[in-house]
Amino acid sequence: MARSLPEFLDEFVLPLLGGGPVMIDGPLREKDLELMLEHAQELARPELRFLRLRRGQELVADPELPDPDSDELRLWMGLYNTLVFDHPDRHRVWSRTIVWRRVEGTTRSLLTLPAPTTCDGALARHVSVGAFFELLRQDMVVGSGGSELRAVGQELPRRILRVAGPGDGIRSEMVRWHEQGHAPEAQRAIEDALRASPLTCVLLPLAAPPGWSPLAAAEAFCDRAMVRAICHRWARHRDWVAVGGAVAGALLPSLPNPGRANAPNPAVASPRAAESPLALPGAVLPTDPQVLAGVAGALIHLHFLKVLELDARLGVAAVSRDPGVTAFLALPLVLPFIESATGSPLGGLPEVADAQRTGRDHGQAPIARRWTEYLDHLQELVPKSAVDNLLASLVPRIVQTS
Amino acid sequence: MAHPLLEPVAAGQTRFRMQGLSPDARGIAVGREVLVTFPTIDWLIAFLGAYSDESSLDDLLPTMTLEHARRHEGGHAILLRAAAADGYAVDRLGRLAGATRGLLFTGGGSVFLRWRGREAPFGYDLVSLLSPSGEEVLVVDLDHVASYTAIDRMDPVELIQRLQLRRVPLPLSGVSSDPERMGLKDLALALVAPGLASRMLAHLWRLEASFAGYYVQLEGDARASLLLRIRQPRGRVLDVLHGTPGVELLAPVSARAAVQVGYRHPIQLSSASACLPGEEMFLFRGHVGRVERLPGPPRFIDGRHLVEATGTAKLRELGQLREADLAPLQVELQVRPAQNPREPRGTLISWDQVGLLRHLVYLIPPSALAASRVVPLEEGLVVITGSSIGARSRAGMGAAAAGMGAGAIVPLGLRLGEVAPGVLVADGHELWPRVRPSLTRQLLGLGPEDHALFLRPDAEPIRVTEQQLIPLDAALIGRLQLHETTTVVPDLPALEPGEIHNRKLGRFALWGFPRGPKGPTEDGRGQ
Repeated sequence: MARSLPEFLDEFVLPLLGGGPVMIDGPLREKDLELMLEHAQELARPELRFLRLRRGQELVADPELPDPDSDELRLWMGLYNTLVFDHPDRHRVWSRTIVWRRVEGTTRSLLTLPAPTTCDGALARHVSVGAFFELLRQDMVVGSGGSELRAVGQELPRRILRVAGPGDGIRSEMVRWHEQGHAPEAQRAIEDALRASPLTCVLLPLAAPPGWSPLAAAEAFCDRAMVRAICHRWARHRDWVAVGGAVAGALLPSLPNPGRANAPNPAVASPRAAESPLALPGAVLPTDPQVLAGVAGALIHLHFLKVLELDARLGVAAVSRDPGVTAFLALPLVLPFIESATGSPLGGLPEVADAQRTGRDHGQAPIARRWTEYLDHLQELVPKSAVDNLLASLVPRIVQTS
Repeated sequence: MAHPLLEPVAAGQTRFRMQGLSPDARGIAVGREVLVTFPTIDWLIAFLGAYSDESSLDDLLPTMTLEHARRHEGGHAILLRAAAADGYAVDRLGRLAGATRGLLFTGGGSVFLRWRGREAPFGYDLVSLLSPSGEEVLVVDLDHVASYTAIDRMDPVELIQRLQLRRVPLPLSGVSSDPERMGLKDLALALVAPGLASRMLAHLWRLEASFAGYYVQLEGDARASLLLRIRQPRGRVLDVLHGTPGVELLAPVSARAAVQVGYRHPIQLSSASACLPGEEMFLFRGHVGRVERLPGPPRFIDGRHLVEATGTAKLRELGQLREADLAPLQVELQVRPAQNPREPRGTLISWDQVGLLRHLVYLIPPSALAASRVVPLEEGLVVITGSSIGARSRAGMGAAAAGMGAGAIVPLGLRLGEVAPGVLVADGHELWPRVRPSLTRQLLGLGPEDHALFLRPDAEPIRVTEQQLIPLDAALIGRLQLHETTTVVPDLPALEPGEIHNRKLGRFALWGFPRGPKGPTEDGRGQ
């Protein structure tokens, strides 16, 4: 279904970013992208820029978002098509299955975007994908229990309303679209959308696709304001241990294997098939010590935020067997080794004894005591092997160890 | 080298060659029964005594059998068999048996194996099956087999009842010096010979002891003896009972058994109620070496029914009160000058001095201010603090704790002292006659929270009810004016999430997707 760019912006993009009814109709084609780009000047509309800016300001104070371009338009079209797969009238479309496969191929093609290279570029992706994950849907429901009819994001059909009485329990339910069940095509497209926005994966690590790594959003971890926003977004989550565990669990496998790094270069090695690589190497994630220190520091800061909230000791009472959670809980224990690169939660403050002696104790003494108690609590809780694992895998990549 | 007869059980082993062995919760091979062999009966008694000290013999007695057995290779032994509960219980039996020269084996029927040791923490199993013949019991150790044949059986209950008591030393200063150690602190029993009964009863009655008793017919005696029960006996009573020939002092060791003072039963009878069947009471008399079985449970009769009264004095009942008029006795309650100083509890401030009070309230401590009440009267303003009634209420607690009220602090007006709870009299006066404080309130007809004020000797007293007392701080401060807050409305509403509306899809919604999937384009994008 062809439609113009102004219409698409009014009916989908602006409500997606600023709230309001997001109209879902037939799927968009690759050809529609070319048609829309003929009116590319519409992408510079002030209300669109304003809404993107406000969305960005939910994370950082003064984002400098790049202007909307064709890549961003492709992302919006891909997100739109993702919603089409969950349209309740799909079965009414007179078409073969292969055509739906072509629609899926087009959608995934639209969502396949180059990785953002700057922090603001990553934020611009998150502005759209983050709003996409917040979408709501109002369902009209008739009946209760086992026999109920649900009009998904639509009005109830008139024929139903004509026969339904007050005893049938007609009600409307507001649900979050992302938390509902999806069609398989939509599920795959969601994963592609998340891959296109690494910052969204960092902020919603429990929803991130398999194989994701926080190092994909390396540029975000180099920006101090952005890291602070990430930490506070993690800390808002009720199950913050699972969130931290998901990030730590995704980080550790993505660290490059030192044995592989020392492998001989296939170009100079013997051309025998047995020794040549079976496939080209995948995307190489940045393993800059500064990025790794940013990720580790953010995770440790999450612990510290919870210590400030007095929530940490209760939350960490039950340790799961998930290796990611264990690594996350072990991270504060390796802080003395990486302190030179990450800094310390209480760094910059005078020592407690000095502060008390000089009378300039501004309330950090109880915080320092709670942080020390929390570290002792973790020491009892976390197996020593987890700390040793971090010392062998993560710490040498952040600081120079002897 | 001798062929080993037993092999250690491995951890987690569940199948055994010997029948009846089974693993318990810890994986230890335990048989259905345990067998303990003792060289002599003295060591058996020592074992039972140690077991009763540590645990209850009632667990062991229902399944316990005692046999005097002869060993085929020569010698005799006492065999104790009991059901095996679990590894922990058998471990305890093994520890106690080891301390009393017994050997513990586990198994069932007629074959028993050595119990677990350091070399085999999960126990032992047979290397090859053994078949006992006849009535003999095979006891298998690591390198030898002993076979026992029972000669006779002993009833454990009867054995325990027949045991000779053992002497224990008494304190040199008499039993009264430490009745708790003798077991006589709460209750003492005394068996009095028939000829001494009436004299002993009279003596206890004179000593005002709390006693009860009844007559029991002991086997072989012509006349009934008296069994006394004395609750919480005093030292004097114990000394008399213990030092009198013909009176045996007994200490109760359980609900139905008592042992003579100066003796001890080898078994802890309090943990072996199964040894004393039925409802009878057992008296273990060490001096004569007998056990008295009293028929039926003891039915003591209170001591005052056992002694005979010899008093002759009679009390006269008061017939009728004289119809006397007490009016000549009644006097009038009046206020008179007094010299004794009183702590001021209130003050009467005339109206022309109220302006001064307004300036002074800034100096009054907050607790005293909170506890102060004022009553506006014609004569002036009465400030009351910290009266005994006020101290009971929550507001007065602060002043009572501070020990000082506004009435004591304010240096104005006529001071009032408290002669009774809530009854205030002008300073330098008191109520006459000096009746009890509670009676004063009753005479004045005051309610529970009312105050009475005697401001002048010649004036009538004033009743002040709870509702008329106004808190001083509330009376002082006028109503405060609060400024309404102004909320700032944000210029822009918060961003809301979008809401999905699914439009109706037509039948031909997928027009425009006719071709196959596109290949990768030049810039590397595509499927």
